[in-house]
Amino acid sequence: MFKELDPILHSQLRLAVMSLLIAVKEAEFTFIREKTNSTAGNLSVQIQKLKDAGYVDVVKQFKDNYPLTTCKITKKGINAFEDYVKALQQYLQVGK
Amino acid sequence: MSEEKNLTEQESLQIITEMIHKVKGSFHESGTSAILWGSVVGFCGLFSFVKAHFDFSTGWFDVWFLTLIAIVPQVIISIKESRQRKILTYEESAMNAVWLVFGISIFALAFYNNVVPGVSENFYAKDGIELLQRNKATGEISAFHPFIFSESSIFLILYAIPTLVTGLARKFKPMIIGGIICYLLFIVSCFVSFQYDMLLQGIAGIINWLIPGLILRNMFLKGKAC
Repeated sequence: MFKELDPILHSQLRLAVMSLLIAVKEAEFTFIREKTNSTAGNLSVQIQKLKDAGYVDVVKQFKDNYPLTTCKITKKGINAFEDYVKALQQYLQVGK
Repeated sequence: MSEEKNLTEQESLQIITEMIHKVKGSFHESGTSAILWGSVVGFCGLFSFVKAHFDFSTGWFDVWFLTLIAIVPQVIISIKESRQRKILTYEESAMNAVWLVFGISIFALAFYNNVVPGVSENFYAKDGIELLQRNKATGEISAFHPFIFSESSIFLILYAIPTLVTGLARKFKPMIIGGIICYLLFIVSCFVSFQYDMLLQGIAGIINWLIPGLILRNMFLKGKAC
């Protein structure tokens, strides 16, 4: 029986964000936007979805009078990502 | 990158690989701090050697004071670099902990070097002993300033290092507290006799490792039971 791929993660931009965040302790919003080649508006919406699912923590503060948003993957997010990768491996093994 | 595109498994895997690869190439150490401390410590060491070799005096000024002055640019560099940094990797976070604890330990050793001569003299004075030295050639007698080396104090610094680094890197409070207490025990050990040093070693072992170890064990068993 195959595990269903987590719909929160099975989307291009959200998966890209989670893949970035899994590799770092924390990352600024601008860094994620730059690496994912996304627009600020779209990225905000997708990060909010990840936040609502409890997969990322978002900290908003000010740096040199400019707003600074920092994102960090949560334990729940790490578990979800690991499950997603495991499920992906199952699908890929069958496809061989 | 668009949002609602239907992904195949291969595409998902490709995104994950690509993003992790992008992060890998995003962080580069500037080397500024290493250059600063390499220059300062290098200069101080070489200057001290030349001073000893040619036997000249710099009066009250000790060249090693420059290491204290160098803390100012180091703080500025650290603030500037943290402002420019857009990501914090796990590796970088652990390395920061290593260098921070190294800095604390260096200052602990400097403190030890400065405090022990006075404490040693006090220990002898309490027993009514004053140490003197006689110059064989001139017969001149002068005060001898002893330095009672206490390896227990040095061990306490060594105990604190891995505990505090692990605690900071893993954000594990019991080890952070254990490491800090161990540095405090080190300070106490500079002022007490060997007998009490042993007591401090025992306390350090319990606070530094036994208590965090029991907490970790408890967490491990709980995790296993789930």
